Amino acid sequence: MVSVALLAQQIVNGLLFGGQLALIAVGLTLIWGVARVLNFGHGAMFMVGGFVGFFTLGATGSLVAAVVAAGLVVFALGYVTEVVLIRPLRDREEFGIPSMVVTLGLAFFLENAFIVWIGSQRQSFPRFTDVIWNVAGITLSAQRVLIFIISLVALGLLFVVISRTELGLAIRAVSQDHDTALLMGVRPNRVYAITFGISAALAGLAGVLLAPLFAVYPSVGWYPFLLSFVVVMVGGLGSVRGTLLAAMGLAVVRSISIIWVSSQMAMVILFTIMIVVLVAYPDGIGGYLE
Amino acid sequence: MTVLETLRSGIARTGDRLVEDARSRNGVVFAVLALLALLAPQLVGGYTLDLLTQLIIAILVVTSWIFIAGYFGMFSFAHAALYGIGAYATALLAGQAGVHPVLAVLLGGVVAGIFAIPIALPVLRLSGAYVGMATLAFAEIVYRLTIHFRELTGGPTGYTGFPSLFGGNRLALYYFVFVLVVVLLVVQYGLLVNRFGLVARAIREAPDAARMLGNNVPRYKLVGFVVGSAIAGVAGGLQIYTVLIISPPMIEVNRMIEFMAMGIIGGLRTIGGGIFGAVIVFGLNEGLRDLGELRLVIWGAMLIVVTIYFPNGLADSSLDPRDRLRELFERE
Repeated sequence: MVSVALLAQQIVNGLLFGGQLALIAVGLTLIWGVARVLNFGHGAMFMVGGFVGFFTLGATGSLVAAVVAAGLVVFALGYVTEVVLIRPLRDREEFGIPSMVVTLGLAFFLENAFIVWIGSQRQSFPRFTDVIWNVAGITLSAQRVLIFIISLVALGLLFVVISRTELGLAIRAVSQDHDTALLMGVRPNRVYAITFGISAALAGLAGVLLAPLFAVYPSVGWYPFLLSFVVVMVGGLGSVRGTLLAAMGLAVVRSISIIWVSSQMAMVILFTIMIVVLVAYPDGIGGYLE
Repeated sequence: MTVLETLRSGIARTGDRLVEDARSRNGVVFAVLALLALLAPQLVGGYTLDLLTQLIIAILVVTSWIFIAGYFGMFSFAHAALYGIGAYATALLAGQAGVHPVLAVLLGGVVAGIFAIPIALPVLRLSGAYVGMATLAFAEIVYRLTIHFRELTGGPTGYTGFPSLFGGNRLALYYFVFVLVVVLLVVQYGLLVNRFGLVARAIREAPDAARMLGNNVPRYKLVGFVVGSAIAGVAGGLQIYTVLIISPPMIEVNRMIEFMAMGIIGGLRTIGGGIFGAVIVFGLNEGLRDLGELRLVIWGAMLIVVTIYFPNGLADSSLDPRDRLRELFERE
């Protein structure tokens, strides 16, 4: 039987995981809302972030340097991806599918390039801290709480950038009306590239933050990508608030389903929820892509 | 118009003028290819013949995906999953229910076609990239369920308890696959060059116009999805007899990406493009096996380059009028 304590534990675990998931999913929803790209390479960006952090940590011994390096390198990767892979497709009549295919190709390319370069085995990443708290019968790992807090801070910073800065204004303008933004002196191409960079940087940051839990290996990005993919569809494409809520909600659903059924069946439940939402609101969710 | 565009459209126009001439030549090209495939067991044997069998099966998967994704514009990620459903159904029918292996292959196609209906119904309301997302979700569900129901499917390690086809005679298997694939290619071709194919292309290019002309668009899409999926199911059933195991990696997303890469690299607009792409990617995978994952890096890069610079695939007649591989089955 599932006890109340176990249920409470799983809800807490779910909420903590939800924060991490939000960090990945918000990047995905951001690039969708602004540039109308479903980035299948998002998981690969997560993976690259993990590896950059891993190597930086090995070279410098500093966790802070690892996190910063992961964010910066993956920002550059996202920027270049937009310029080299997405921009040439932008004039196409049907933009959704080719942009999906090139990012899928990129994910496949990066994953296998890392396998060729490093091998497919898991590299374990040192834990940030080993402290475990016990609050009212619920076990809390300080590391998960720390990751949760860093994720929320990063998302808070993103909100500030989008709502308070000139760049954020430009991003919002381009996402609403590309042509009018151009007339107002915004350079949409630059905004797309920077937004792609920010989106990728969030994935890269998540990659290094979650490295102690997920380890680091070339195909590590698929599972977080699939989860954030579901979150983004359920939360509403392009809606950052919806994505945050969906990340929390679905992470709790996932934690609870894992104790009731298996982790495979938890994914089945999540994907079923996604299909139901997608079919019930075919216009409500999107409106961005088509 | 840039110089390059002028040049390309000029080549394309020249190409169009050659179509009449090329059509007869394509018949010859196709006949030669078919004759070569027919005589192949005289030329090669053993492992190479097995690879040829698998290539022919891959051609069937890719063309049936193009049937859905290329002609109807329904960019399905569920194709490898339906191929897998056909494969599991065939294995279980032959292994557990004692159905004759040949019949099991055909029934596997029927089962895949039946499973395609609940997948297609919600997807019919969606368009563009949304079709991709919903079908990806279905594909993941199928993949997870095959791992979860281990009593039925053998779980992550797979299922091997089915009899081999023709007592493991490779030559007989090759000819069986060859004949069945040719028949199914002719079926697809026959559908696509007739009214059905015209409506499919109309739905792809202008769904609203297709509806206004009195076509029942959802029904056409449903039939197209089910037929393409059933054919993939047959291919899945054939595939298990070449490797003698069915396991989850056969249907995971990576396989889907491989089939997609074949279609996109060859070209989604024609059945011939699918054959061309399957030969290229399959050939690359097998020919460069010594390179390990590097060959996957190569075709990952090809997928990107072709999508950006060759929107109609490498077998695009407007690129080279002499290269009429894509016209193999085309009659517009």
